Amino acid sequence: MKFLGKNTIKLDKELNELDKFVLDFIKILKKHTDYVIISGYVSLLFGRARGTEDIDVFIEEATKESFIKLYQEIEEKYWCLNSDEVNEIYSYLKDGLPIRVAIKDQAIPNFEIKFAKTLLAKEAFKDSVIVKTTLGELKISSLERQIAFKKYYLKSDKDLEDAKHIEKLFKENINYNKVKEYRITIENAKTKNR
Amino acid sequence: MQKLKTDKDNKQERMNFVEYWADFVKNNPDEVWSRQQKLLIDSQIKNAKSFKISRKDYLEIKKK
Repeated sequence: MKFLGKNTIKLDKELNELDKFVLDFIKILKKHTDYVIISGYVSLLFGRARGTEDIDVFIEEATKESFIKLYQEIEEKYWCLNSDEVNEIYSYLKDGLPIRVAIKDQAIPNFEIKFAKTLLAKEAFKDSVIVKTTLGELKISSLERQIAFKKYYLKSDKDLEDAKHIEKLFKENINYNKVKEYRITIENAKTKNR
Repeated sequence: MQKLKTDKDNKQERMNFVEYWADFVKNNPDEVWSRQQKLLIDSQIKNAKSFKISRKDYLEIKKK
């Protein structure tokens, strides 16, 4: 893997079934809305030696009409685990709740999708990184955000390991001042939510 | 290639492996490390597909 500029990474990995699942679904998503992949799958994309059952994605908040168009295309191949009723699915997202989408008749793996409603979520779009694979591009949140979110917000053993993988792998490319900045933003957001 | 550090503490030993593997990923072509990762992930996906679980049961498990 190598950086092709500040916000683009070229990845020549042999894609696994999870990567293909993600790339297929993202092709639909990006026709209708902006998105950013966050959390565990980002570490997996860059080689972390573990599996996952879900891929976390923020999408831009949409009107009901445009969400219905997106969902019509999604349901040709996938189903929502939470409901079959598009109005109900939309209302979950509007209420800030996540929905899970998997290939029809399956539950795993699935996408955990949320509207980007909070400041932290909205900011993840600003400095996103494009990863170019042999089968298409994926948009992920910045490496610095990944590290800060995993180390200072989620903090489980698995999350700390994910952060370590990214830190070790991209040691020379990580801006630690930005990590510090995001840490403060995250901790302030947590204090507000208490 | 660095040697994998062992440790009595399981959490630390796991973290040592994470560092060891990240070092392997960093110092080998993408095609090399991804082949190993593909074996792991593809087998998990294959298992997941053969494991039939209803939407309702899956969401119940996630709540717990």
